[in-house]
Amino acid sequence: MSWLSSRKLQERLSLLVFLLPTLLFVFIFIAFPVLSSGYLSFTEFNYAKDDAPAFVGFSGYMDTILHDTLFHTAIKNQFQFAIPYILITFVVSLGLAILVGELGRGARIFQIIFYLPMIVAMSMAGVAFSWILNQDVGIFNHFLRSIGLASWARNWFGDPATALYGLVVTRSWKMIGFTFIVFLSGVQAIPRSLREAAKVDGANFWQEVRHVVIPLLRPYLLTGGIWIIINSLKVFTLPHMVTQGGPGVATLTLYYYSWKAAFQRYDMGLASQVAYVTAFIILLLSWALNKVLNPESTGRF
Amino acid sequence: MNGLRSFARLLSRRQTAIFYAMVIVASALFLFPPLWMLNTSLRATEDIYRVPPTVLPAKITLENYVYVLTQMQGTRYFLNSVVVTLASVLLVLLASAMGGYAFGARRFRGKELLYMGIVFVLTVPYIMYLIPIYLMEIKLHLRNTWIGLILPYVALNLPWGLLIMRSAFSTIPLEIKDAAVIDGCNEYQLWYRVMLPITRPALAATTIVTFVFVWQEYLFASTLMTKNQWQTLPVGIVWLRDELQTMAYGRVGAMFVLSILPIFILFLLLRNFFIKGLTEGMLKG
Repeated sequence: MSWLSSRKLQERLSLLVFLLPTLLFVFIFIAFPVLSSGYLSFTEFNYAKDDAPAFVGFSGYMDTILHDTLFHTAIKNQFQFAIPYILITFVVSLGLAILVGELGRGARIFQIIFYLPMIVAMSMAGVAFSWILNQDVGIFNHFLRSIGLASWARNWFGDPATALYGLVVTRSWKMIGFTFIVFLSGVQAIPRSLREAAKVDGANFWQEVRHVVIPLLRPYLLTGGIWIIINSLKVFTLPHMVTQGGPGVATLTLYYYSWKAAFQRYDMGLASQVAYVTAFIILLLSWALNKVLNPESTGRF
Repeated sequence: MNGLRSFARLLSRRQTAIFYAMVIVASALFLFPPLWMLNTSLRATEDIYRVPPTVLPAKITLENYVYVLTQMQGTRYFLNSVVVTLASVLLVLLASAMGGYAFGARRFRGKELLYMGIVFVLTVPYIMYLIPIYLMEIKLHLRNTWIGLILPYVALNLPWGLLIMRSAFSTIPLEIKDAAVIDGCNEYQLWYRVMLPITRPALAATTIVTFVFVWQEYLFASTLMTKNQWQTLPVGIVWLRDELQTMAYGRVGAMFVLSILPIFILFLLLRNFFIKGLTEGMLKG
């Protein structure tokens, strides 16, 4: 009997031991920060001069959401970034997945090539593209000049008209590999017989894709699509290290605005408000998309 | 009839050729940025800034690599990245193997609720953690230390590790556990000697997901490590670019190649693990 109870006690104790690291990390570095930045978002707190946060309730949110023109710019930029980014990433990764799915020999090599940018850090991608798109000595402008399009050559990341789209291209290059792999695994899961049947019925390739492949890919398209949409809102690295939000405020995104408020203006209240509004948009969007479209997905970064 | 069939075959062969052509063009576009960095890194400075630029190096030189590794903080960035990545991976493995066992193979009150809470964390954008962690690290003097970067990285990756490890532990049949208990294993021996070896593929997936994340991470590294000597590679390369302005692209290229090399080799060796582990890790685990 006493052996039994001590065994039980030991079991209980061991459970605590197994859970302890998880609980410590989750509470200290996740739960506490979330609550703490929630509190900060209801305060006025300039880290450079105030000793402690001063509670102001919702008035900080009101100011930011209603009157802060930089915040409005950040929201506008964010969506101006997101729409082409979502379209490019989705269409290119789907197109590549369908093409590579058709290939017999060499399909694996192409799979590796298109996935490769996923292992390149975002800041490395930013460095590479700012070199390629450099105004005077960049190879892309040189290419344009050499084919007689000299008037198109410009400082791609320095021109307010193109800077944001330069970031779209850079980020798409890096992220396409992920949805490509998701879609490719969908394409490869389609039974050969279904596609043969379509061919026998006289469907050309385009009809086969439209009426057989796309409908069967639906769950993959939803999962990948939601992932792209959520990720299109979490843009920090490129505006931070390629354009510094500029020129002017042309590439000021929500993440970067929150960071700038906190670490350049030391306005922790504003920074937390922007972070919370961004998080709210992201959570609402992922909830709504999952509710409407249904697959099992979560976003990262 | 015969003519029609051979016409159809010709058509499909032509179609395949067109597909190959399209995929090859796309591959060239995808490979261009890293290859161009490699190309730049092998040139002398005056060769890089020639106007008009040339496509191939006039002469291949390793001077940029030598410079980055001997004159700059290059090796220091490398060391920081290696230490932070290895420590984060090991801690995530340990914590998620322990926690995953508790959530996957044990029963206790409040388990589902606690687990749901941790999984919910996965959807929270990282920008929400950054400011409080920064303020906390100032108080604890953790900025510009390895541990100050490792701890948040472990916390950010732990939920993914738990997701992966929990599902691995939950598929282990109960008979194995019972047999081990009858053999006189205590709880820790049961976990370490009996259960853990079975979850090896899940441990590999957790390793890859964490490794790839930490090796590339920029938001926390650039904010928490404010001094040059504590920078990891993804942030260090930006310092390198800014410090030397436009003259630095050969060196930036060398740094680019050096920092991608380790993960690239790993990727080629374990590509199936990589693609499967990352895809699953990023979607659901």
